[in-house]
Amino acid sequence: MSPWTQVWLLAKREFVERGRSKPFLVTMVILAVVIIAIGPVINALSGGEPEATTVGLVGVELRGIEDELETQGDLFEIDIDVVRFESMDQAENALEDGEVDAVLRDGNEVVFYDNTSAGLTSLIQRAVDTVVTVSTLEDLGLSEVEISAVQEPVPVSVSTIEETDLEEDAKRGAAFVGAILLYVSIIMFGQFVAMGTVEEKQNRVVEVVLSRVRPWQVLVGKVAGIGLLGLLQLTILLGAAYISAQLAGPTDIDVAAVGLPIIAGVFFWFILGYAFYAFLYAAVGSTVSRQEDLQGAIMLPIVLILPGYLLAISAAENPDSLLARVGSLMPMWAPFVMPVRIAAGSAAAWEIAVAVVGSIVGAVALVWIGSRVYRGALLRTGTKVKITDAWRAAAD
Amino acid sequence: MLTMIDVHKRFGDVLALNGAGFSVERGRILGFLGPNGAGKTTMMRVIFDLVHPDSGIVTWNGIPVDAKARLGFGYMPEERGLYPKMKVVNQLVHFARLSGLSNDDARDAVEHWLGVLGLGDRADAKLEELSHGNQQRAQLAAALAPNPELLVLDEPFAGLDPIGVDSLSQTLRELSSGGVTIVFSSHQLDLVEDVCQDVAIINDGRIVLDGDLDQIKARSSRRRLTIDVDGRSWIPDLPDIEVVRNHGQDHCVVPDDAPVADILAVAEAAGNVTRFAFEPPHLTDLFREAVQP
Repeated sequence: MSPWTQVWLLAKREFVERGRSKPFLVTMVILAVVIIAIGPVINALSGGEPEATTVGLVGVELRGIEDELETQGDLFEIDIDVVRFESMDQAENALEDGEVDAVLRDGNEVVFYDNTSAGLTSLIQRAVDTVVTVSTLEDLGLSEVEISAVQEPVPVSVSTIEETDLEEDAKRGAAFVGAILLYVSIIMFGQFVAMGTVEEKQNRVVEVVLSRVRPWQVLVGKVAGIGLLGLLQLTILLGAAYISAQLAGPTDIDVAAVGLPIIAGVFFWFILGYAFYAFLYAAVGSTVSRQEDLQGAIMLPIVLILPGYLLAISAAENPDSLLARVGSLMPMWAPFVMPVRIAAGSAAAWEIAVAVVGSIVGAVALVWIGSRVYRGALLRTGTKVKITDAWRAAAD
Repeated sequence: MLTMIDVHKRFGDVLALNGAGFSVERGRILGFLGPNGAGKTTMMRVIFDLVHPDSGIVTWNGIPVDAKARLGFGYMPEERGLYPKMKVVNQLVHFARLSGLSNDDARDAVEHWLGVLGLGDRADAKLEELSHGNQQRAQLAAALAPNPELLVLDEPFAGLDPIGVDSLSQTLRELSSGGVTIVFSSHQLDLVEDVCQDVAIINDGRIVLDGDLDQIKARSSRRRLTIDVDGRSWIPDLPDIEVVRNHGQDHCVVPDDAPVADILAVAEAAGNVTRFAFEPPHLTDLFREAVQP
């Protein structure tokens, strides 16, 4: 039987036993449901399709004002509905209930509920101006053709010098969500590795296992099995996020074009980041013999991971800052920060290469250091083993 | 045949094994004895390379033991432990497979041993749902699951009730008659005397006495002498005598050429002799003599 067959058996046990534990399944289902719900909920809160703007009319009514309000609305690409009220009381009630956005009273007063809107005011103002002017010109005896010649609006084209790119924003947003997911996953599955290591020490089963396989096999099997479970959970959660984005449906964004590269990136950086931290978690986990002592031991990986998360937030805001650039190159933070910078289009090819190679080298170094501490500490029970003592013990 | 030769191991300032070695032939049961801290557990761990010795040789049938050979060994550590939340059958199959059995063979072996150990109906229970005694049995089953040629048990009788002791003794005898070589450590010397053909006694990291138990006894120049006068223990006044005080049943250990007739005469002069036994030393006597400073 080859050593790798044993590693596979060890990995399979981790995957199956942890994967079918109730707390894990319940957490994953809850997470997936929450993520799927986020899209439609945001959609519902932001109102989805922009609603029509409603203007109420009360009192003395200018001839043709209703048509003119709608015409002006068309010019501003706003859908204007007009509602008539018998009295100002009714109109005020409608304002209070939010049924109308503004009320034009007697053709010379615009009433809002609590906040005025300059845009809507000027739109109504223009409509009033127009109908008054038309009526004056008619009174002066001008023909319809002459009036429309005078009144023909001269459309002004509107543009920005920087192109508004909805997809760019969506990409950055998705990359940021990906960074959070990565952060949560690496901490979660890193903890699983540490907990699994302590459990085996605490239950003493580790000696039964080690009478059959070498410490490195236990370590690699555990990290691989739990890592596969992490990939499975990521697949499910990213699938949920994808469904959520589809349900949220801003139709002018191609969810697949934005989402798939991000999803691929999350997988890629998860593997690098997880490899780096999982072996560290295993090493610190192996130094204690009881779950109660684990919280203190895992401070080291947590303290290392946390800046990565903060840097990712900062990079989402400002991907070109020195902080973001340096953070994205450090092996322990690159998995969190670099994907955000890549999505923002701010990472140069050489920077990406440095981050990837650095993370791989870092992960390999951690495999080596972590394995040695793990080997040295695994059979020492009782008090917490110092990492340096475990390191030396493994030399035997 | 398991052979360990000149094994040394130092942990920091502590010399745990100082040239220890013994051997045990195929199908025999060796009781591995020694005071606490003498090096028993370390020696057993060396067989599985759980402790890597500084020097020394471990061979199985004359060939140095490697990872592959170890897969044919079963080990029950002193610190018992399995996965509490895993089904008994699943974890035993897992361990059997880690020892190199195919899935089918592993399942057959586990089913067999669970049946032999009386756990057949608890196979689908989680380990933590088993009684203490049954957890002990499951632990033994984990050692037996790969159908080992060599079984190494660290304190297998600790914590068992008298019925459990009888049943484990019986199991060990059956295994050994089936050709399995067994090494186990224990502090219960009468039990070892009852179950084992061979003993090895370790003290301060060295083997101080080992071999076939009957031959050791026969070879010994000491004899156990137990005399009761008027129903109470009576100790003769002799040179070169070792008195063992043992909760009202004291005895002494004397040279095999002690003047038995003279002693009996003195005892009869002292009162009514109700018991007079001059016999080969028991294992406890040998043990005490071997580990005395």
